[in-house]
Amino acid sequence: MALFPLISNFQNDFVLQLLPVDTENTMDEVAAAAAYHSVGRRVAAQPGKVVRVRRQGASDFIPRDKRLGETDIKPMECIEFIFADS
Amino acid sequence: MALLERSEWYDIARATNWTPKYVTDSELFPDDMTGAKGVPMEKWEVYDEPYKTSYPEYVRIQREKDAGAYSVKAALERSQMFEDADPGWLSILKAHYGAIALGEYAAMSAEARMVRFGRAPGMRNMATFGMLDENRHAQLQLYFPHEHCKKDRQFDWAHKAYHSNEWGAIAARHTFDDLFMARSATDIAVMLTFAFETGFTNMQFLGLAADAAEAGDYTFSSLISSIQTDESRHAQIGGPALQVLISNGRKEEAQKLVDIAIARAWRIFGVLTGPAMDYYTPLTHRKQSFKEFMQEWIVGQFERSLIDLGLDLPWYWDQMVNEFDYQHHAYHLGVWFWRPTVWWNPAAGMTPDCRDWLEEKYPGWNDTFGKCWDVIIENLLAGKPELTVPETLPVVCNMSQLPICAVPGKGWNVKDHPLDYKGRTYHFNSEIDRWIFQQDPVRYRDHMTLVDRFLAGQIQPMNLMGALQYMSLAPGEIGDDAHKYAWVEQYRNNPYQRKAA
Ligand SMILES: [Fe+2]
Ligand SMILES: [Fe+2]
Repeated sequence: MALFPLISNFQNDFVLQLLPVDTENTMDEVAAAAAYHSVGRRVAAQPGKVVRVRRQGASDFIPRDKRLGETDIKPMECIEFIFADS
Repeated sequence: MALLERSEWYDIARATNWTPKYVTDSELFPDDMTGAKGVPMEKWEVYDEPYKTSYPEYVRIQREKDAGAYSVKAALERSQMFEDADPGWLSILKAHYGAIALGEYAAMSAEARMVRFGRAPGMRNMATFGMLDENRHAQLQLYFPHEHCKKDRQFDWAHKAYHSNEWGAIAARHTFDDLFMARSATDIAVMLTFAFETGFTNMQFLGLAADAAEAGDYTFSSLISSIQTDESRHAQIGGPALQVLISNGRKEEAQKLVDIAIARAWRIFGVLTGPAMDYYTPLTHRKQSFKEFMQEWIVGQFERSLIDLGLDLPWYWDQMVNEFDYQHHAYHLGVWFWRPTVWWNPAAGMTPDCRDWLEEKYPGWNDTFGKCWDVIIENLLAGKPELTVPETLPVVCNMSQLPICAVPGKGWNVKDHPLDYKGRTYHFNSEIDRWIFQQDPVRYRDHMTLVDRFLAGQIQPMNLMGALQYMSLAPGEIGDDAHKYAWVEQYRNNPYQRKAA
């Protein structure tokens, strides 16, 4: 358990936002936390899609159940949140 | 007693360089303070100021200008401007005064540095008048809003803004410290007078003077026209200084100063003037879009003065021109969404007619920025205003101190531009902002953005309340929608239909 700040860059949103999460959070949980500050505020929801997580510049998503503490993501790294089919 | 014509005595009276006997030249004029870049004293003596005046002439003209501006104010004091003006116009006034008034005092200090440490006698002369000009500008722009303070506390921010940690104030201070408070006399001549004043202040002052007249605010119109006449004189300090630098083999150094100053000025104008022109000004009063204004003043006119002096266009010119299409739309959306954190009431500028205008001026606007506004409008119609205010901070750029933002929706291109430097990661809005940092990392590295301060625990409690307190935004001062959301009703049972092309 450790507070872990990230930068959220949410697909279709216009701004980078501070995203306080926890090292214990899975990628799905991190994505939900990011969505809270974008989807339904400035980004339209996309029913049926899931929000996947990748590092800025990467093409592959990080597995959904992987915990933040198990990745080598650094604090205040810019993370992209992308609508995907699964 | 017959007086000589100015031209008969000016050159002799101006020759105020001398050879010091009791100290060395470098003690009297340290290079750090002069910024002469090794160009010796005698080479600066060719500096010929394009605008010459004497002290008696200056005083006579300035007295007339002041009398004009103050008498217009006095004559119109009982007018109903405050009551009758569109709330968007009042927001422009508040943003302008808060961002500019005390900046004029800072500019006065910068002019004073040129008075003392300028290497060219003519530059010292012009800067003496420039210093007096800036004092006048600060006092005028503190006095004029003061009459509104009793009706509206946000006008108090004309004086308060720079004394606070409000994010816009941090951005303005960081920029102005960089361009002229913490620069040498020569660098000030290049960055403040040439790049900032010749290039950009025309736009804020001439553009706003026209908008003010349109809006029926003749007091403000005459005030800023009066200020602009001083600006167009002392803005000419930089040109001859650049000529001296370039003809003595210092073009590269001069070019870098110009490139940094233009990039920083563009960000400040993007957040201040961009929303004012394209959103806050009522549609019927808009003459030109912000982009059209930028193209006319910066690309059309300022570009020519760069080339005429023998400088090159900044390396990022095409990218900056490209940003005219979107950066200020992103800043506007950010300011409106984070509206409790500003000292004015942002006008959304979001009626269906406004959207048609935006689409016409910025093709594709509805598919990009419009997508975010669609969600906002939906929430306001559904009675969920809580979803139209933020619950976290935007990440701000380590250079501009403004949110890192770009195009949303179908043109989504938002991106961090990070840089690792000595164990710390810095975040930038673009390659341009990052490039500025890299030119002199020691100068910039210790500054903490609002987000850095938040993460360091300097803002307590760590929520919106704590942030507002940190920014000194008291109840009655925090921003809200300028028109109290009245514009939203135009969409009730009537979703926006894009005008057929
Ligand atoms: Fe000024
Ligand atoms: Fe000035």
